[in-house]
Amino acid sequence: MVRIRTILSITTSIVRILGSLFALWATFDWKVRRTRKAFEKELVKQGMSKEDARRISAQYKTLKNQLTSTLVNSIRT
Amino acid sequence: MIEVEKKGEGKKGSEAEEVKEILGAVSAQVPALIKGIIGSVFSEEAGRDMGKAAGAFYKELKESGIPDDVAVEMTENYIGMFTSLGDVLKQAVGGKGKHVKISKLRKESEEGTGADMAQKIKEKMAETEEEE
Repeated sequence: MVRIRTILSITTSIVRILGSLFALWATFDWKVRRTRKAFEKELVKQGMSKEDARRISAQYKTLKNQLTSTLVNSIRT
Repeated sequence: MIEVEKKGEGKKGSEAEEVKEILGAVSAQVPALIKGIIGSVFSEEAGRDMGKAAGAFYKELKESGIPDDVAVEMTENYIGMFTSLGDVLKQAVGGKGKHVKISKLRKESEEGTGADMAQKIKEKMAETEEEE
């Protein structure tokens, strides 16, 4: 009985970790988009053209891709 | 014989309990840690602050008389420093720091000005390799 309870508890923990990681991954794109918008808005306020601001804010996407690949690689290994 | 089996089961049970406790702690801490790291870089407030910094940099460049395309490029490079954070994390997670250190030392020894300098660097490299 104790063993079954332990196995259930371990399974719950694993499901909880995977669920949290999935939720983070699912909301990541949305967070990046909001960050980029706020960043672009400030640049445009300082007199930069919208196109240039968009090009510079693409760095956020690069950083996001790097972080994602780092996390995925660390989980794989 | 039965006692030995019982002892073995008891050991397995305690190991399972340990795994349960570790996973319980990890499931609470790790997602919160990752969330914190992501939130510190990817949030509306962080984006606004970074935008203010980059905007001020761009404005200063423009006011100093630098042409627009050059100012934009310099601002892009300035923000590019920020993405090197990803490389730092990659190195930290992948444990590539040691290799970078050795290759840097090797490069320094090749480009060194004096024989003494090269000798010292080679000694340092040997020490680093021994440590590993």
